[in-house]
Amino acid sequence: MRERFLVGFDPFVLPFLCGMVFVLAYCLFYLVRILAQLSAEDRKKFFKSLLLPSNALKNIRDMFLDCLIHVKLWKRNPNLGYMHSSIAFGWFMLIVIGHIETFMYVPGKAGLFYYPIFFRYFMEVDNQELKGSLLFFLMDFFLLIVLSGILLAMIKRIWRRFFGMRRTTRLSITDHIGLYSLWAIFPLRWIAEGFTAGVAGGSFMTIPINMLLKNFMSNPENFNIAWWLYSIALGTFMFALPFSRYMHIPAEILLIPMKRAGLKVYHPRKGFALAQIYTCPSCGVCIDACPMSANKQNCKDTTVYLVRQLKRNNARRMNAMSNKCLMCGKCQEVCQIGLQSYDIRMNIRERARYNIQLKHNYLASYNPDIKQAKVLYYAGCMSSLTPVIGRSIKKLLSIAKVDYTQMDEGGGICCGRPLILAGKKAEAQAMIAKNTEIIKASGASILLVSCAICYRVFKNEYKLSGIRVMHYTEYFNELIKKGKLPITKGNVRYAYHDPCDLGRGCGIYDEPREALSFVGGLAHAEKERAMSVCCGGSIGSLTLNHEDRKPIVEASISNMLYSNPDYIVTACPLCQKTFSMYSPVEVLDFAQALCNGLQEKDVN
Amino acid sequence: MAENIIIIGGGPCGLEAAKTLRDLGYAPIILEKKQELGGHLRKWDRLFPEGVQAKQVLKELTSGLKGIEWHTSVDIETIEKSRKGYTVTLSTGVSYNSPALLLTNGFKLFPAEKKEEYGYGIYDKVITNADLEQYFAKGKDNVIKKPKTIGFVHCVGSRDEKVGNRQCSKVCCATAVKQACEMKELFPDATIYSFYMDLRLFGRNYEDMYLTAQKKYGIRYIRGRVSEVSEDIDGSLIVKAEDTLLCKPLRLKIDLLVLMTGIVPENSSASLAQQLNIELGEDGFYKPKDTILEPCMAENNGLFMAGACTGPKTIPETLSEARAAAVQIHNYLNKSWISGIL
Ligand SMILES: Cc1cc2nc3c(=O)[nH]c(=O)nc-3n(C[C@H](O)[C@H](O)[C@H](O)COP(=O)(O)OP(=O)(O)OC[C@H]3O[C@@H](n4cnc5c(N)ncnc54)[C@H](O)[C@@H]3O)c2cc1C
Ligand code: SF4
Ligand code: SF4
Ligand code: SF4
Repeated sequence: MRERFLVGFDPFVLPFLCGMVFVLAYCLFYLVRILAQLSAEDRKKFFKSLLLPSNALKNIRDMFLDCLIHVKLWKRNPNLGYMHSSIAFGWFMLIVIGHIETFMYVPGKAGLFYYPIFFRYFMEVDNQELKGSLLFFLMDFFLLIVLSGILLAMIKRIWRRFFGMRRTTRLSITDHIGLYSLWAIFPLRWIAEGFTAGVAGGSFMTIPINMLLKNFMSNPENFNIAWWLYSIALGTFMFALPFSRYMHIPAEILLIPMKRAGLKVYHPRKGFALAQIYTCPSCGVCIDACPMSANKQNCKDTTVYLVRQLKRNNARRMNAMSNKCLMCGKCQEVCQIGLQSYDIRMNIRERARYNIQLKHNYLASYNPDIKQAKVLYYAGCMSSLTPVIGRSIKKLLSIAKVDYTQMDEGGGICCGRPLILAGKKAEAQAMIAKNTEIIKASGASILLVSCAICYRVFKNEYKLSGIRVMHYTEYFNELIKKGKLPITKGNVRYAYHDPCDLGRGCGIYDEPREALSFVGGLAHAEKERAMSVCCGGSIGSLTLNHEDRKPIVEASISNMLYSNPDYIVTACPLCQKTFSMYSPVEVLDFAQALCNGLQEKDVN
Repeated sequence: MAENIIIIGGGPCGLEAAKTLRDLGYAPIILEKKQELGGHLRKWDRLFPEGVQAKQVLKELTSGLKGIEWHTSVDIETIEKSRKGYTVTLSTGVSYNSPALLLTNGFKLFPAEKKEEYGYGIYDKVITNADLEQYFAKGKDNVIKKPKTIGFVHCVGSRDEKVGNRQCSKVCCATAVKQACEMKELFPDATIYSFYMDLRLFGRNYEDMYLTAQKKYGIRYIRGRVSEVSEDIDGSLIVKAEDTLLCKPLRLKIDLLVLMTGIVPENSSASLAQQLNIELGEDGFYKPKDTILEPCMAENNGLFMAGACTGPKTIPETLSEARAAAVQIHNYLNKSWISGIL
């Protein structure tokens, strides 16, 4: 292998070179900016975690698996996984091999950014030379891989069903520029290297194209045009990159160690959040996953578009989009980069200013007289509005001879979650403090909660040391297993719906299923557990009205009816109420279903 | 031989239309899914505004059916449109043909269980307006035993987006006023509350009924929606509401709570509409060709509809529509003969 030109430079490399320098400068600027936006404490945490050797290894592994191989995407959708990894990994290997060659043969040129990229232009190989041919073969091989990925990317734009996707992201202008230049880069590279294959050697991809287009490619006038075009395509891509979704390529390298350091989102578009925003490649997986998209007009409010508005700092749209969201957490669950849309939206909500004065001074004079008991039951407003649930729970408790008392019989204080969801976390503290006082004074050792919404706050926002906060699904499952509830198994099939706040919110998936399996069979929903679909009634959304919610609810019900259950069972009064409106099969609360399994003699 | 006209639904509307058609020289066939003719009228005791006996009206409507063929307990399997009109096939295999079809399949009472926070079907002392009519008719009931305080809740399942019904049922305000007065006559010592959003007493003499309720019977009208009902240890009910005129939350102990369930579309309306290619309004009732000029006619040729299947109506309104639809069918058939369609 030897150099074709002594100078080792040609003006055609300039578009690429300028683009490359621009991207590096831009990324460096944002790296410093993001790090500067972190709180001093978070920054320290970040650097500390970076330096830990075990973390460093894990980070490198994740970068390899996530950025290049796209393992998570493979698991979700193999076609998409192949498309992304063929482009990312193939391109990466082309660059790596380019560098290896440069180091091996012209170490003096290794400092030049462009040399490894345009290696074929500057170097020629003799086909007799085994090592050189092998390297050229590898380059052609990875070019083929990338080209196959590009072909799939084109197919995806035209025929997304091939990838099992109903909807893909609508691209912005810069995204389009990035996309088309990316599509152009590799075919152009193939052609350009096809030219050089005639004079300086090539391999199984480049030589045949040279021979095929003999007339065109043997014309030396076309020669330089091809290399110029290839370099311009690269340059265009680089200049578009920071303003397009392709920013995810450098951003993910930062995000991976940041996530490992356990940072928290504290502002919707600064610091950790900004790193996440830049890392979103607009893959669009969150559009189909979002329950709101059952209503086509809501597609524009899904997380991928929120990210775009965050980039643009469009305050009006950001607020509208975060207020509409059901806060079901599904998009976060499916997201390959783990974008913390829940925290980002909460941060937007917390910053919104309303002209409302909340007066909580009545709380001081509220001192309910609560009987001392081992178990303190908090029904919450939703359970009070669905009397069957309260009744069933009390029945089960008295059959199991539990020493219990209700905390909010005839009225109580809200758990605080609605206020928190409205972004009024500080105001909710007044209620949290009062409830904590009441709970502690009751002397109970277990706080029993029958509403998934309340449960999530009691679990995460309250400091109730020494008191076990239990969702009734956990508690009754324990009672059944201890043999305290005389339950028999019927031959009905229940489809259990995972309420968002209980499943994705608190990770409780098994207890309710285990308990239900004592009273009947379990019918699978199409999507369940972490993939469960929000019922559509969530109080998380501040702006969806009943009409907008109807298609969402109906889509969620049809998900539950997947294997023809006799009943739908849920463990949240709001889901139960929401489903009941439109469900063709009866919707039971978890406690009701358990009561159905009580042995006759015990009923009354 | 007289031409057959099929009428689906044997409530007040179907009966009245059949009689008018017969008088115009046709041979109507009423297909009723229940065991008896009469529709919802069978469930009522006395009718607003004057307190006429429902039985009497029912008797009037169901007698003199000579020349009318009627079948009860029918189950319609398919309806097909042909060039000559419609063919209705029952699950028994029998089928009927007619050049025009009249839909009078009425309404359904809102299932009060759906408004769970009011506790119907859970607390014994919560009943509906229909239950109360039954009590008036029979004179006895297991639950109603000398109630001291009685509450009436308006707009249950109506004007309530939470249960998916935005429309006003129109007849329940008048029914509530009527029933409150009747209860006061039966239990003069009882205190009676009525929780309403607006009082919609639109018809002739209805306002007088309301004034009497206030002046003569001392019914207490409270503007505000009931938010939730719970049961006390002694079995009485605790009703939480807000008096929106006084801006005060209320908590009342009540012995009997009557839910004014409203009018929602009949279950069969959706499937009939699908088979016959009729558009449904957002509220689920049939959409006529023109709500002002052609309220009894569907877009499709030869298809007519009347009564509560096109929205909440009182009985006199229903009966007028029945007659109007009958005359329109007559005109339609005459025109069709002349222009040779049939
Ligand atoms: C609580 C309440 C109190 C009321 N009190 C009064 C009052 O005091 N005064 C007054 O003027 N009005 C009153 N009304 C209104 C009155 O009940 C209606 O105007 C009247 O019943 C409408 O008659 P209809 O024939 O259109 O419908 P319906 O009475 O509903 O009759 C429809 C008939 O069609 C049948 N049907 C339905 N589907 C099918 C099918 N697929 N195949 C065959 N048959 C079918 C049904 O079984 C039924 O018999 C009251 C309404 C309510 C809700
Ligand atoms: S938020 Fe996640 S799922 Fe949605 S487009 Fe971005 S990367 Fe994809
Ligand atoms: S949290 Fe749920 S509703 Fe909100 S955007 Fe994500 S998937 Fe959609
Ligand atoms: S008539 Fe009165 S009670 Fe009935 S829905 Fe209308 S406003 Fe409500």
